[in-house]
Amino acid sequence: MANLNIDSIKERTFDAIVIGSGMSGGWAAKELTGKGLKTLMLERGRDVKHVKDYPTTNLYPWEFPHHGVLPMDVQEANPIVNRCYAFGEDAAHFFVKDKEHPYVQEKPFDWIRGYQVGGKSLMWARQTQRWSDFDFEGPARDDFAVDWPIRYKDIDPWYSYVEKFAGISGNRDGIPELPDGEFLPAYPLNDVEAYFSNHIKTNYKNRYVISARCAHLSKPNQIHIDQGRTQCQSRTLCQRGCPFGGYFSANSSTVPWALRSGKLTLRPHSVVESIIYDDKLNKATGVRVVDTQTKETIEYYAKIIFVNAAALNTNLILLNSKSDRFPNGLGNDSGVLGKYVAFHNYSAHIGGEYDGFKDWTTDGRNPAGGGYIPRFRNVYKQETDFLRGYASGFSAYRFKQHNYDGVGASLKENTVKGNLGPWYVGSHMMGETIPKESNFVTLDNKLKDDWGVPLLKISVDYDDNDEKMKKDYIEQLTEMFTSAGFTNIKPSTNHQAPGLDIHEMGGARMGNDPKSSILNKWNQLHACKNVFVTDGACMTSTSCQNPSLTYMALTARAADYAVGEMQKGNI
Amino acid sequence: MNRRAVIKNLALVVSSAVLLPSCLKNSGTPAIALKHLNINSDQEKLIGDICETIIPKTNTPGAKDLNLHLFVLKMLDDCYTKKDQLTIVKGLTEFDNVVQKKYNQSFSDLNIKDREAVLVEIEQNAKKAGGAKTPAGRNTKPQKTVDANPLFAFYWAIKQQTLFGYTTSQYFMTKEIVYELVPGRYNAHFPVKNLKQT
Repeated sequence: MANLNIDSIKERTFDAIVIGSGMSGGWAAKELTGKGLKTLMLERGRDVKHVKDYPTTNLYPWEFPHHGVLPMDVQEANPIVNRCYAFGEDAAHFFVKDKEHPYVQEKPFDWIRGYQVGGKSLMWARQTQRWSDFDFEGPARDDFAVDWPIRYKDIDPWYSYVEKFAGISGNRDGIPELPDGEFLPAYPLNDVEAYFSNHIKTNYKNRYVISARCAHLSKPNQIHIDQGRTQCQSRTLCQRGCPFGGYFSANSSTVPWALRSGKLTLRPHSVVESIIYDDKLNKATGVRVVDTQTKETIEYYAKIIFVNAAALNTNLILLNSKSDRFPNGLGNDSGVLGKYVAFHNYSAHIGGEYDGFKDWTTDGRNPAGGGYIPRFRNVYKQETDFLRGYASGFSAYRFKQHNYDGVGASLKENTVKGNLGPWYVGSHMMGETIPKESNFVTLDNKLKDDWGVPLLKISVDYDDNDEKMKKDYIEQLTEMFTSAGFTNIKPSTNHQAPGLDIHEMGGARMGNDPKSSILNKWNQLHACKNVFVTDGACMTSTSCQNPSLTYMALTARAADYAVGEMQKGNI
Repeated sequence: MNRRAVIKNLALVVSSAVLLPSCLKNSGTPAIALKHLNINSDQEKLIGDICETIIPKTNTPGAKDLNLHLFVLKMLDDCYTKKDQLTIVKGLTEFDNVVQKKYNQSFSDLNIKDREAVLVEIEQNAKKAGGAKTPAGRNTKPQKTVDANPLFAFYWAIKQQTLFGYTTSQYFMTKEIVYELVPGRYNAHFPVKNLKQT
C-alpha cells in the first residue's frame, strides 16, 4: 500500500506545472519542455486538436444550418458572450456560454472566455504590437499604478524570440513609440488607406498610419514549416481555427511543439482549485485539481508552477490558494492581489466615405484588417487633460451594392448585378485605461461553482479619464478625417461594458516593491519564488497596444529565468 | 435525439431539399419540423408562393426549386424572438385577409402579375410608413428586430430571409457568383475593371 502511494505520488510529480494552455500557457509549456523539464499542462476545458477539432473550418456559408446566423434561443440564453463580434454560428463552440460558468458582476463586465486547449488564442484578433519605453515608463512618468520593474531593453530580445517563432507580419516603420520587430512581409495598405497614411504623415507631426502588424504567416520561414504551418490563405475565417495554421494559436504552434518534445503531459478537463503552499518548505509544492468529468480531486506536484489561466482566472486561483502563511491568497502579503485591474477602452468608432480612387479596389481578403494608428496623444509630453492615449484601427473598403427593391425577375437579376459602392473608411478606438485600486476582482464569499471553487466577483468600471479620452478620440479622428477630405463622417460611441475588449489585465501586477505589487521583474511571486504568473494578470499598466505579444515575450523570458534559477538551486 | 443532431438533420433537409419535390406533403403539417412557429401546410404553401414570387424561376432556378421556403421557415422558427414571431404570424393572417378582400381569392390563386402587385404594394406602403429598411442581401446579416406593423413585419421577414437564403445558397454562391473559401491572396491595389463576379 505504501509503495502504491509512493508510485502514485511519483506519477503525479513533474518538474513544472503550467496552469492554462492558451496564449501564454502554450509558450510556458514550449519553453519549459524545450529546456528539458518534464511538464504538466492543466487545462480546465476540453482538448482542441489542431485541424481535427475545427469542425466548421471548411464549411461554406450554405452548409451552416442558419447560414451563419445564431439561433435566437442561443442569443437570448447568452446575452454576455453574444455581444462578442466573433460569437457566430461558425465559432460559438469555442466560447464559454453564459450559464456554463457564472460569475458575479458588481458592475457590468462582459467576461469573454474560451475554456479549451488553446484558450482564446484560437479566436483572437491576432493584432500584435510591441510596447516601448513610452509604455513601460508610463506609470512612473504619469504617477499612477506602480513603476514597471522592467524596461524595453529587458524585453526587446524576448519580443524578437517569440516573433520569430509565432510569425508576425509587419513593416519596419521606424516609429519610436511602436518598436519594429522580426517581421514577415506586411499586408499592404490599400489605395485609400495608403492615401490617408501619406496625408497624415505630411500634415501631422508624430502621427502615422501603418499596416496593421498581425500574427499571420504572410511568408512562412523554415521554423513555421517545422511547426506544420503554412502560408496564410487570406480566408479571414480565423475564429473557426485555421487548417493552414496561417495565424498563430497555441493549438497550431506552441502546444503541439511542446508535445513533440515528449516532455509534456497535457491534461484537459482539469480545473485548478488552488496552488498548494507548504508552510514548512516555504514554497509551493503543487496544485489541487478537480477533474471536471469524474469530479475527483487530485494533487499534482512540481518544483515550479506557471500560472497562465487567463488574467482574471489567474487572480481567482491565487486568491483561492489560502494557507496559514497566506490567508488572503498566495503571495498576497501586500493586499493588492485582485486589485488594479484594467482593460482597454473600445467604446468609440468613426466612419466616413472617400470620393476618390474610383477605378481601384481590392481583391481577395486582408487578414491584417487594414491599418493601425499608433498612439499619438501624450507620447512625448503631457498635452491633454487626460492621462495616456489611444491607438486606432483604420481601414478602407468598398463593396458591391445592390438594388433590392421590388420582387420578381428584376430583383433576382439585381442580386447579381450591382455597382461597386464608394470607398468607406472606418476607425475604432483602443484606449489605455488607468489601473485603480477601486477596479478589482475578489472571491464571492457564498457562491461556488460546480467544482467547489468560489465564483469570481468583478467590480470594474470606466472613469472620467476614459470619458475625456473618448471625447478626444472623436475630436481628433473627426479632424483627421475631415482634413483628408473624407465625407459623411459619422462618429459613434457605445457604452459597452469593460471586458468586451477582451483585454482585461492586472490584479497580480509586477513591481519592484513587494509592499505594493505581487510579482517581481521576473514575473515571480515576491513571496513564493517558485510560482510565476505570465499572463494578463501580471500587467502593471495596459498601454494601448494589443497585449498578447507582450504576454508571450514575458512568458519566454520568465521561463528562461525560472530554469536558470532551478539549475542554480535557488528554487 | 440531442439538439445538435436535430440541427444537423435539419441542415440535411435544407441542403438536400433541392432533390425533393416541393409538394411532397399535403397533410396539415409543414414539410419541415418547426419548434416555435405554429404554421399549417396551407400557410407553408402561401409562404412558398410568396418566396417564389420574390425569387421566381426564370431560366435559372427559383425559390421553390431551391426550397428556399423551407430555409425561410427555419429562419423564422429559429432566429426571431418569440415576440417577433407572434407579430410575423399575425401578419401572415393579415396578409391572407388583405388579398382575399382585394381580389376575392387567395394569393396562391392569383396570376403572377397580381401576386407581384400585392407584394410591391405592401413594400411601398411599408417604405412610406418608414419602418423598415431595404432588406439585407448577402452583404449583411438579416436585421434582428421587425416592424411593429404585423403585415409589414411579415412581408419584410419573408423577403429578407428569401433574399438571404437565395444569395447564400449553394446554387447562387457557385453558379451566379464564385464564393471563395480559400482566396489565397490579397491584392491591395486592384483595377475595378478586372473584377470578376464575386
